[in-house]
Amino acid sequence: MEKEHKPRKVFVEGPISPDFIAKSIASHQSKTNIGAHAIFLGQIRADEKEGGVVSGIEYTAYEEMANDVFHEIREAAFARFELTCLHIYHSLGLVPTGEISLFVFVSSPHRRAAFEASEFIVEEIKNNAPIFGKELVGEGGDFRWKENR
Amino acid sequence: MGLHVQYYGMLAEVTGQAEENWLEDGRLTVGDFRRLVTDKYPELLGKKFKIAVNRRISEDSSPIDPQSEIALLPPFAGG
Repeated sequence: MEKEHKPRKVFVEGPISPDFIAKSIASHQSKTNIGAHAIFLGQIRADEKEGGVVSGIEYTAYEEMANDVFHEIREAAFARFELTCLHIYHSLGLVPTGEISLFVFVSSPHRRAAFEASEFIVEEIKNNAPIFGKELVGEGGDFRWKENR
Repeated sequence: MGLHVQYYGMLAEVTGQAEENWLEDGRLTVGDFRRLVTDKYPELLGKKFKIAVNRRISEDSSPIDPQSEIALLPPFAGG
């Protein structure tokens, strides 16, 4: 039986800063059984929509359920891949275009597990986490609701 | 029975509220609830949404226990 991993805080208010990401990397230097990290960063794209260009996304979530889903994704990833540790952070609130809204950080002794786990985790989040995004379009306060494909 | 119903994302705009308490006599399935909520808010008929019961996406055939937390979830957009 795999050991249970504690639920962790995933949601952060606003964009995820490059400084936070750098500090996360630095904090793993003492874990010397790690040989490979894979990092996925989701960035807000300036899509062209009817009425203007996307200037940012305002995220909301069904937080209690999303936290359950993130915990299940973590458990599934640890069961499936040889991982040393795994961190997921997702923004709530406004994230302007060009900034980071998702940070998945996977560490393993070897590269293959790190690559594969990061893809698995990102796909699971996109498909199963109850997170909603309002794309702000143009200057006039227009918006449209985003939908993952 | 009492249900606590939550509306997320665009669905909160359609129904004009984020949550409400719902009094029901007798037991419902998720499918029954879907019909009742679309009768109450006909604008929901054109929208895609899933229904979570106590934080789990549920099929229309699933029964709803009294005092459950129901959430209407529009398409996900995380990432």
